[in-house]
Amino acid sequence: SGAAHRPWRLFGAMCLLRLPRITQPLEKEEEEMAALMAQIELEKSHYSDHEIRKLEEEKQLKRRKESLYDEDEAPGKTVIMAQDLEEKWEQKFLRFKAAPRITDADKSNDRTSLNRKLDSNLMLLVKQKIGNQELWLLPQVEWQPGETLRNTAERAMATFMGDHIQAKILGNAPYGIYKYKFPRAIRTEDNVGAKVFFFKAFLQSSDLSQAKLKADHLWVTKKELGDYLKSEYLKKVNQFLLD
Amino acid sequence: DALLGCHRSYRSRPTHGIGKFKYLLPKELPKRRKEKVQMKEIDAGTEYQYGDVNIQMTSYDLCLVEHFAQYVHRLCNRLSIRVNESYAMPTKTNEVLFLEERGSKMQLDAILTTHQRVVQIRGLSSTFAPILLEVIQSNQPEGVHLSVKQHTEADFKSRLKSRPELEELRAQMS
Repeated sequence: SGAAHRPWRLFGAMCLLRLPRITQPLEKEEEEMAALMAQIELEKSHYSDHEIRKLEEEKQLKRRKESLYDEDEAPGKTVIMAQDLEEKWEQKFLRFKAAPRITDADKSNDRTSLNRKLDSNLMLLVKQKIGNQELWLLPQVEWQPGETLRNTAERAMATFMGDHIQAKILGNAPYGIYKYKFPRAIRTEDNVGAKVFFFKAFLQSSDLSQAKLKADHLWVTKKELGDYLKSEYLKKVNQFLLD
Repeated sequence: DALLGCHRSYRSRPTHGIGKFKYLLPKELPKRRKEKVQMKEIDAGTEYQYGDVNIQMTSYDLCLVEHFAQYVHRLCNRLSIRVNESYAMPTKTNEVLFLEERGSKMQLDAILTTHQRVVQIRGLSSTFAPILLEVIQSNQPEGVHLSVKQHTEADFKSRLKSRPELEELRAQMS
Protein backbone atom coordinates (compact mmCIF):
# COMPACT_ATOMS: atom_id res chain seq x y z
CA SER A 1 0.00 0.00 0.00
CA GLY A 2 1.17 3.46 -0.71
CA ALA A 3 1.55 6.34 1.68
CA ALA A 4 -1.30 6.91 4.11
CA HIS A 5 -1.84 10.49 2.94
CA ARG A 6 -1.75 11.75 -0.60
CA PRO A 7 1.29 13.93 -0.94
CA TRP A 8 0.43 17.41 -2.02
CA ARG A 9 2.93 19.98 -3.10
CA LEU A 10 2.85 23.02 -0.87
CA PHE A 11 3.20 26.61 -1.98
CA GLY A 12 3.35 29.79 0.02
CA ALA A 13 1.83 32.87 -1.57
CA MET A 14 2.07 36.45 -0.45
CA CYS A 15 -0.67 39.01 -0.75
CA LEU A 16 1.10 42.33 -0.50
CA LEU A 17 -1.27 45.15 0.42
CA ARG A 18 -0.69 48.83 0.13
CA LEU A 19 -2.90 50.51 2.69
CA PRO A 20 -5.03 53.45 1.57
CA ARG A 21 -3.46 56.87 1.98
CA ILE A 22 -6.62 58.93 2.06
CA THR A 23 -9.99 58.19 3.60
CA GLN A 24 -12.78 57.22 1.28
CA PRO A 25 -15.42 59.82 0.51
CA LEU A 26 -18.31 59.67 2.97
CA GLU A 27 -21.71 58.50 1.90
CA LYS A 28 -24.78 60.66 2.25
CA GLU A 29 -25.90 59.24 5.60
CA GLU A 30 -22.36 59.41 6.94
CA GLU A 31 -22.08 63.06 5.98
CA GLU A 32 -25.37 63.93 7.63
CA MET A 33 -24.35 62.07 10.76
CA ALA A 34 -20.99 63.80 10.81
CA ALA A 35 -22.62 67.23 10.49
CA LEU A 36 -25.07 66.42 13.28
CA MET A 37 -22.33 65.17 15.60
CA ALA A 38 -20.22 68.25 14.88
CA GLN A 39 -23.13 70.49 15.79
CA ILE A 40 -23.78 68.58 19.00
CA GLU A 41 -20.12 68.81 19.98
CA LEU A 42 -20.07 72.52 19.21
CA GLU A 43 -23.12 73.22 21.33
CA LYS A 44 -21.89 71.08 24.21
CA SER A 45 -18.37 72.50 24.31
CA HIS A 46 -17.15 75.45 26.33
CA TYR A 47 -15.50 78.56 24.93
CA SER A 48 -11.78 78.34 24.29
CA ASP A 49 -9.30 81.02 25.41
CA HIS A 50 -9.17 82.59 22.00
CA GLU A 51 -12.95 82.90 21.78
CA ILE A 52 -13.23 84.42 25.25
CA ARG A 53 -10.61 86.97 24.32
CA LYS A 54 -12.44 87.78 21.12
CA LEU A 55 -15.75 88.33 22.93
CA GLU A 56 -14.17 90.58 25.52
CA GLU A 57 -12.49 92.69 22.89
CA GLU A 58 -15.74 93.07 21.00
CA LYS A 59 -17.42 94.26 24.20
CA GLN A 60 -14.61 96.79 24.74
CA LEU A 61 -14.95 98.10 21.23
CA LYS A 62 -18.66 98.56 21.72
CA ARG A 63 -18.14 100.42 24.95
CA ARG A 64 -15.61 102.70 23.33
CA LYS A 65 -17.88 103.53 20.44
CA GLU A 66 -20.98 104.20 22.51
CA SER A 67 -19.40 106.16 25.31
CA LEU A 68 -16.33 107.95 24.09
CA TYR A 69 -14.31 107.38 27.22
CA ASP A 70 -10.59 107.54 26.86
CA GLU A 71 -10.34 104.86 29.45
CA ASP A 72 -7.76 102.80 27.71
CA GLU A 73 -6.76 100.83 30.77
CA ALA A 74 -4.16 98.84 28.97
CA PRO A 75 -3.33 100.37 25.61
CA GLY A 76 -0.34 98.13 25.28
CA LYS A 77 -2.32 94.91 25.56
CA THR A 78 -4.71 95.26 22.68
CA VAL A 79 -2.11 95.93 20.02
CA ILE A 80 -2.87 92.66 18.33
CA MET A 81 -6.57 91.95 18.48
CA ALA A 82 -8.00 88.49 18.35
CA GLN A 83 -9.88 89.43 15.19
CA ASP A 84 -6.63 90.31 13.44
CA LEU A 85 -5.12 87.01 14.41
CA GLU A 86 -8.09 85.18 13.01
CA GLU A 87 -7.82 87.02 9.73
CA LYS A 88 -4.14 86.22 9.52
CA TRP A 89 -4.83 82.55 10.10
CA GLU A 90 -7.57 82.54 7.48
CA GLN A 91 -5.26 84.00 4.91
CA LYS A 92 -2.63 81.43 5.69
CA PHE A 93 -5.21 78.71 5.29
CA LEU A 94 -6.31 80.02 1.92
CA ARG A 95 -2.74 79.98 0.72
CA PHE A 96 -2.41 76.28 1.55
CA LYS A 97 -3.12 73.96 -1.37
CA ALA A 98 -3.89 70.33 -0.71
CA ALA A 99 -2.56 67.65 -3.05
CA PRO A 100 -5.09 66.33 -5.56
CA ARG A 101 -7.01 63.22 -4.58
CA ILE A 102 -7.17 61.84 -8.10
CA THR A 103 -3.61 61.49 -9.30
CA ASP A 104 -2.23 61.26 -12.81
CA ALA A 105 -1.98 57.52 -12.58
CA ASP A 106 -5.71 57.39 -11.95
CA LYS A 107 -6.49 59.37 -15.06
CA SER A 108 -4.29 57.26 -17.27
CA ASN A 109 -5.35 54.04 -15.50
CA ASP A 110 -1.77 52.94 -15.25
CA ARG A 111 -2.03 49.77 -13.26
CA THR A 112 1.65 49.30 -12.63
CA SER A 113 2.08 52.40 -10.51
CA LEU A 114 1.40 52.65 -6.81
CA ASN A 115 -0.08 56.11 -6.98
CA ARG A 116 -3.51 55.29 -8.21
CA LYS A 117 -6.58 54.74 -6.08
CA LEU A 118 -5.20 56.40 -2.99
CA ASP A 119 -8.30 55.56 -1.01
CA SER A 120 -8.40 51.78 -1.35
CA ASN A 121 -6.17 48.77 -0.81
CA LEU A 122 -3.88 47.78 -3.66
CA MET A 123 -2.64 44.22 -4.12
CA LEU A 124 0.31 42.89 -6.03
CA LEU A 125 -0.33 40.46 -8.90
CA VAL A 126 2.42 38.74 -10.81
CA LYS A 127 2.41 36.69 -14.00
CA GLN A 128 3.72 33.24 -13.30
CA LYS A 129 4.18 30.12 -15.35
CA ILE A 130 2.47 27.07 -13.89
CA GLY A 131 2.61 23.86 -15.86
CA ASN A 132 2.44 25.20 -19.38
CA GLN A 133 0.14 28.16 -18.69
CA GLU A 134 1.04 31.72 -17.92
CA LEU A 135 -1.33 32.95 -15.25
CA TRP A 136 -1.81 36.07 -13.18
CA LEU A 137 -1.38 35.06 -9.56
CA LEU A 138 -0.38 36.34 -6.19
CA PRO A 139 3.37 35.73 -6.02
CA GLN A 140 3.99 32.19 -4.86
CA VAL A 141 6.97 29.96 -4.35
CA GLU A 142 7.22 26.28 -3.51
CA TRP A 143 7.70 25.24 0.09
CA GLN A 144 10.97 23.58 0.96
CA PRO A 145 11.14 21.19 3.91
CA GLY A 146 12.73 22.78 6.92
CA GLU A 147 11.27 26.25 6.66
CA THR A 148 8.01 27.58 8.02
CA LEU A 149 5.24 28.60 5.63
CA ARG A 150 5.69 32.21 6.65
CA ASN A 151 9.30 32.02 5.51
CA THR A 152 8.13 30.63 2.20
CA ALA A 153 5.82 33.57 1.74
CA GLU A 154 8.59 36.00 2.61
CA ARG A 155 10.84 34.30 0.12
CA ALA A 156 8.13 34.62 -2.53
CA MET A 157 7.97 38.33 -1.87
CA ALA A 158 11.73 38.63 -2.01
CA THR A 159 12.08 36.79 -5.31
CA PHE A 160 9.58 39.02 -7.06
CA MET A 161 10.32 42.32 -5.41
CA GLY A 162 13.94 42.28 -4.40
CA ASP A 163 15.33 42.12 -0.89
CA HIS A 164 14.64 44.40 2.02
CA ILE A 165 11.20 45.62 1.31
CA GLN A 166 9.53 47.23 4.26
CA ALA A 167 6.56 44.94 4.43
CA LYS A 168 5.13 43.77 7.71
CA ILE A 169 3.51 40.40 8.24
CA LEU A 170 1.33 40.49 11.29
CA GLY A 171 0.98 36.88 12.37
CA ASN A 172 2.27 33.40 11.70
CA ALA A 173 -1.07 31.97 10.66
CA PRO A 174 -2.07 31.84 6.98
CA TYR A 175 -5.12 33.72 5.86
CA GLY A 176 -6.49 31.34 3.28
CA ILE A 177 -5.83 28.19 1.37
CA TYR A 178 -6.46 27.15 -2.21
CA LYS A 179 -5.98 23.59 -3.29
CA TYR A 180 -6.27 22.15 -6.72
CA LYS A 181 -5.52 18.83 -8.34
CA PHE A 182 -3.30 18.55 -11.34
CA PRO A 183 -4.88 17.44 -14.61
CA ARG A 184 -4.80 13.70 -15.00
CA ALA A 185 -2.07 13.76 -17.57
CA ILE A 186 0.48 15.04 -15.10
CA ARG A 187 -0.82 13.31 -12.01
CA THR A 188 1.44 10.67 -10.58
CA GLU A 189 1.50 8.68 -7.36
CA ASP A 190 3.46 11.32 -5.54
CA ASN A 191 2.04 14.46 -7.03
CA VAL A 192 -1.70 14.65 -6.80
CA GLY A 193 -2.11 18.36 -6.57
CA ALA A 194 -0.98 21.49 -4.88
CA LYS A 195 -2.07 23.55 -1.91
CA VAL A 196 -1.39 27.25 -1.81
CA PHE A 197 -1.33 29.03 1.55
CA PHE A 198 -1.94 32.77 1.49
CA PHE A 199 -0.28 35.25 3.80
CA LYS A 200 -0.94 38.96 4.09
CA ALA A 201 1.65 41.69 4.41
CA PHE A 202 1.34 45.45 4.61
CA LEU A 203 3.63 47.67 2.62
CA GLN A 204 5.22 50.18 4.99
CA SER A 205 6.91 52.50 2.54
CA SER A 206 5.66 53.33 -0.90
CA ASP A 207 9.15 53.74 -2.27
CA LEU A 208 9.85 50.92 -4.70
CA SER A 209 12.95 52.22 -6.40
CA GLN A 210 14.65 48.82 -6.47
CA ALA A 211 14.37 47.01 -9.76
CA LYS A 212 11.98 44.11 -9.94
CA LEU A 213 13.03 40.80 -11.32
CA LYS A 214 9.96 40.24 -13.44
CA ALA A 215 8.36 43.11 -15.23
CA ASP A 216 4.86 41.70 -15.38
CA HIS A 217 3.38 43.01 -12.19
CA LEU A 218 0.19 44.87 -11.41
CA TRP A 219 -1.27 46.69 -8.46
CA VAL A 220 -5.02 46.11 -8.42
CA THR A 221 -7.92 46.74 -6.10
CA LYS A 222 -10.29 44.07 -4.91
CA LYS A 223 -12.88 44.83 -7.58
CA GLU A 224 -10.39 44.61 -10.40
CA LEU A 225 -9.14 41.21 -9.25
CA GLY A 226 -11.92 39.58 -11.21
CA ASP A 227 -10.32 40.75 -14.46
CA TYR A 228 -7.22 38.76 -13.83
CA LEU A 229 -7.78 35.80 -11.57
CA LYS A 230 -9.57 32.57 -12.31
CA SER A 231 -12.97 32.09 -10.66
CA GLU A 232 -12.10 29.35 -8.14
CA TYR A 233 -8.90 31.06 -7.13
CA LEU A 234 -10.71 34.37 -6.93
CA LYS A 235 -13.34 32.92 -4.61
CA LYS A 236 -10.77 31.75 -2.12
CA VAL A 237 -8.80 34.96 -2.26
CA ASN A 238 -11.87 37.14 -1.83
CA GLN A 239 -12.68 35.33 1.37
CA PHE A 240 -9.86 36.89 3.29
CA LEU A 241 -9.77 40.34 1.77
CA LEU A 242 -11.28 43.23 3.68
CA ASP A 243 -12.40 46.28 1.86
CA ASP B 1 -57.43 62.77 70.75
CA ALA B 2 -57.00 62.59 67.04
CA LEU B 3 -53.77 64.51 67.42
CA LEU B 4 -52.45 62.26 70.11
CA GLY B 5 -53.54 59.00 68.51
CA CYS B 6 -50.84 58.95 65.78
CA HIS B 7 -49.56 55.66 64.49
CA ARG B 8 -45.94 56.31 65.32
CA SER B 9 -44.16 52.97 65.64
CA TYR B 10 -42.78 53.34 69.10
CA ARG B 11 -40.14 51.03 70.49
CA SER B 12 -42.54 49.00 72.57
CA ARG B 13 -44.95 48.41 69.75
CA PRO B 14 -44.63 45.25 67.70
CA THR B 15 -44.44 47.36 64.52
CA HIS B 16 -41.16 48.92 65.60
CA GLY B 17 -38.67 49.06 62.75
CA ILE B 18 -41.22 48.15 60.13
CA GLY B 19 -39.66 50.14 57.30
CA LYS B 20 -36.08 48.87 57.68
CA PHE B 21 -34.56 47.12 54.68
CA LYS B 22 -30.82 47.73 54.79
CA TYR B 23 -30.21 44.51 56.65
CA LEU B 24 -31.55 42.63 53.65
CA LEU B 25 -29.03 44.09 51.18
CA PRO B 26 -25.60 42.48 50.62
CA LYS B 27 -22.83 43.98 52.74
CA GLU B 28 -20.73 46.65 50.98
CA LEU B 29 -17.10 46.63 52.00
CA PRO B 30 -15.51 50.06 52.50
CA LYS B 31 -13.60 51.21 49.37
CA ARG B 32 -9.86 50.73 49.34
CA ARG B 33 -7.62 53.55 48.22
CA LYS B 34 -4.78 51.32 46.99
CA GLU B 35 -4.63 50.23 43.35
CA LYS B 36 -3.94 46.55 42.95
CA VAL B 37 -0.92 45.57 40.87
CA GLN B 38 -1.64 44.16 37.43
CA MET B 39 -1.66 40.46 36.69
CA LYS B 40 0.21 38.89 33.80
CA GLU B 41 -0.90 36.01 31.61
CA ILE B 42 0.88 33.30 29.66
CA ASP B 43 2.47 34.57 26.51
CA ALA B 44 3.93 31.63 24.65
CA GLY B 45 2.90 28.04 24.46
CA THR B 46 0.54 25.83 22.57
CA GLU B 47 -2.35 28.12 23.38
CA TYR B 48 -0.87 31.22 21.93
CA GLN B 49 -2.45 34.08 23.84
CA TYR B 50 -1.27 37.56 24.44
CA GLY B 51 -1.35 39.00 27.95
CA ASP B 52 -2.50 42.55 28.53
CA VAL B 53 -2.32 44.52 25.31
CA ASN B 54 -2.62 48.30 25.18
CA ILE B 55 -4.07 50.01 22.13
CA GLN B 56 -3.02 53.66 22.31
CA MET B 57 -4.58 56.36 20.19
CA THR B 58 -3.14 59.87 20.08
CA SER B 59 -4.32 62.89 18.20
CA TYR B 60 -4.72 66.65 18.34
CA ASP B 61 -8.46 66.39 17.82
CA LEU B 62 -10.35 65.38 20.96
CA CYS B 63 -13.68 64.36 19.44
CA LEU B 64 -12.03 62.10 16.85
CA VAL B 65 -9.93 60.29 19.43
CA GLU B 66 -12.83 59.77 21.78
CA HIS B 67 -15.11 58.48 19.09
CA PHE B 68 -12.42 56.16 17.76
CA ALA B 69 -11.75 54.83 21.26
CA GLN B 70 -15.46 54.20 21.69
CA TYR B 71 -15.52 52.42 18.35
CA VAL B 72 -12.60 50.16 19.30
CA HIS B 73 -14.18 49.37 22.65
CA ARG B 74 -17.49 48.44 21.07
CA LEU B 75 -15.73 46.36 18.42
CA CYS B 76 -14.00 44.33 21.12
CA ASN B 77 -17.27 43.86 22.98
CA ARG B 78 -18.83 42.67 19.78
CA LEU B 79 -16.02 40.20 19.11
CA SER B 80 -16.20 39.02 22.74
CA ILE B 81 -12.67 40.09 23.59
CA ARG B 82 -12.34 41.01 27.22
CA VAL B 83 -11.60 44.69 27.76
CA ASN B 84 -9.88 45.32 31.09
CA GLU B 85 -9.91 49.09 31.15
CA SER B 86 -10.36 51.97 28.81
CA TYR B 87 -8.75 55.11 30.16
CA ALA B 88 -7.32 58.43 29.07
CA MET B 89 -3.80 59.66 29.59
CA PRO B 90 -3.32 63.29 30.70
CA THR B 91 -3.31 65.76 27.82
CA LYS B 92 -0.07 67.43 26.82
CA THR B 93 -0.10 71.07 25.76
CA ASN B 94 2.43 72.29 23.21
CA GLU B 95 3.05 75.92 22.37
CA VAL B 96 4.16 76.51 18.83
CA LEU B 97 6.05 79.74 18.22
CA PHE B 98 6.85 80.93 14.75
CA LEU B 99 9.88 83.16 14.49
CA GLU B 100 9.57 84.95 11.18
CA GLU B 101 12.66 86.95 10.45
CA ARG B 102 11.65 89.12 7.54
CA GLY B 103 12.69 92.53 8.74
CA SER B 104 10.80 92.63 12.03
CA LYS B 105 10.77 89.54 14.19
CA MET B 106 7.24 88.32 14.62
CA GLN B 107 6.07 85.66 16.94
CA LEU B 108 2.88 83.87 16.12
CA ASP B 109 1.69 81.56 18.82
CA ALA B 110 -0.39 78.43 18.48
CA ILE B 111 -1.40 76.14 21.30
CA LEU B 112 -1.78 72.47 20.46
CA THR B 113 -3.18 69.91 22.85
CA THR B 114 -2.36 66.23 22.37
CA HIS B 115 -4.93 63.77 23.65
CA GLN B 116 -4.36 60.08 24.25
CA ARG B 117 -6.82 57.26 24.88
CA VAL B 118 -5.88 53.70 25.85
CA VAL B 119 -7.97 50.55 25.53
CA GLN B 120 -6.60 47.59 27.44
CA ILE B 121 -7.39 44.13 26.17
CA ARG B 122 -6.81 40.68 27.56
CA GLY B 123 -7.15 37.25 26.07
CA LEU B 124 -6.29 37.96 22.47
CA SER B 125 -5.54 34.75 20.61
CA SER B 126 -2.68 34.98 18.15
CA THR B 127 -4.71 33.64 15.24
CA PHE B 128 -7.21 36.44 15.69
CA ALA B 129 -4.82 39.27 16.50
CA PRO B 130 -3.76 40.10 12.90
CA ILE B 131 -7.38 40.27 11.76
CA LEU B 132 -8.30 42.62 14.58
CA LEU B 133 -5.27 44.77 13.87
CA GLU B 134 -6.15 44.97 10.21
CA VAL B 135 -9.72 45.99 10.94
CA ILE B 136 -8.61 48.73 13.33
CA GLN B 137 -5.92 49.89 10.93
CA SER B 138 -8.26 50.15 7.98
CA ASN B 139 -10.81 52.08 10.03
CA GLN B 140 -8.38 54.62 11.38
CA PRO B 141 -9.58 58.19 10.96
CA GLU B 142 -7.26 60.85 9.61
CA GLY B 143 -4.98 62.47 12.11
CA VAL B 144 -5.11 59.67 14.65
CA HIS B 145 -1.89 57.87 15.48
CA LEU B 146 -2.32 54.26 16.50
CA SER B 147 0.07 52.06 18.46
CA VAL B 148 -0.45 48.61 19.92
CA LYS B 149 1.87 47.52 22.73
CA GLN B 150 2.07 45.01 25.49
CA HIS B 151 1.27 46.32 28.92
CA THR B 152 4.25 46.84 31.21
CA GLU B 153 4.86 48.09 34.73
CA ALA B 154 6.20 51.33 33.33
CA ASP B 155 2.92 51.94 31.50
CA PHE B 156 1.04 51.31 34.71
CA LYS B 157 3.25 53.62 36.74
CA SER B 158 2.98 56.44 34.19
CA ARG B 159 -0.64 56.90 35.14
CA LEU B 160 0.16 57.46 38.83
CA LYS B 161 1.41 60.76 40.19
CA SER B 162 4.50 60.82 42.33
CA ARG B 163 4.18 62.15 45.86
CA PRO B 164 7.27 64.16 46.75
CA GLU B 165 6.31 64.69 50.42
CA LEU B 166 5.78 60.99 50.99
CA GLU B 167 9.11 60.21 49.39
CA GLU B 168 10.82 62.84 51.53
CA LEU B 169 9.36 61.39 54.69
CA ARG B 170 10.34 57.90 53.65
CA ALA B 171 13.89 59.05 52.95
CA GLN B 172 13.95 60.68 56.37
CA MET B 173 12.74 57.53 58.06
CA SER B 174 15.33 55.26 56.48
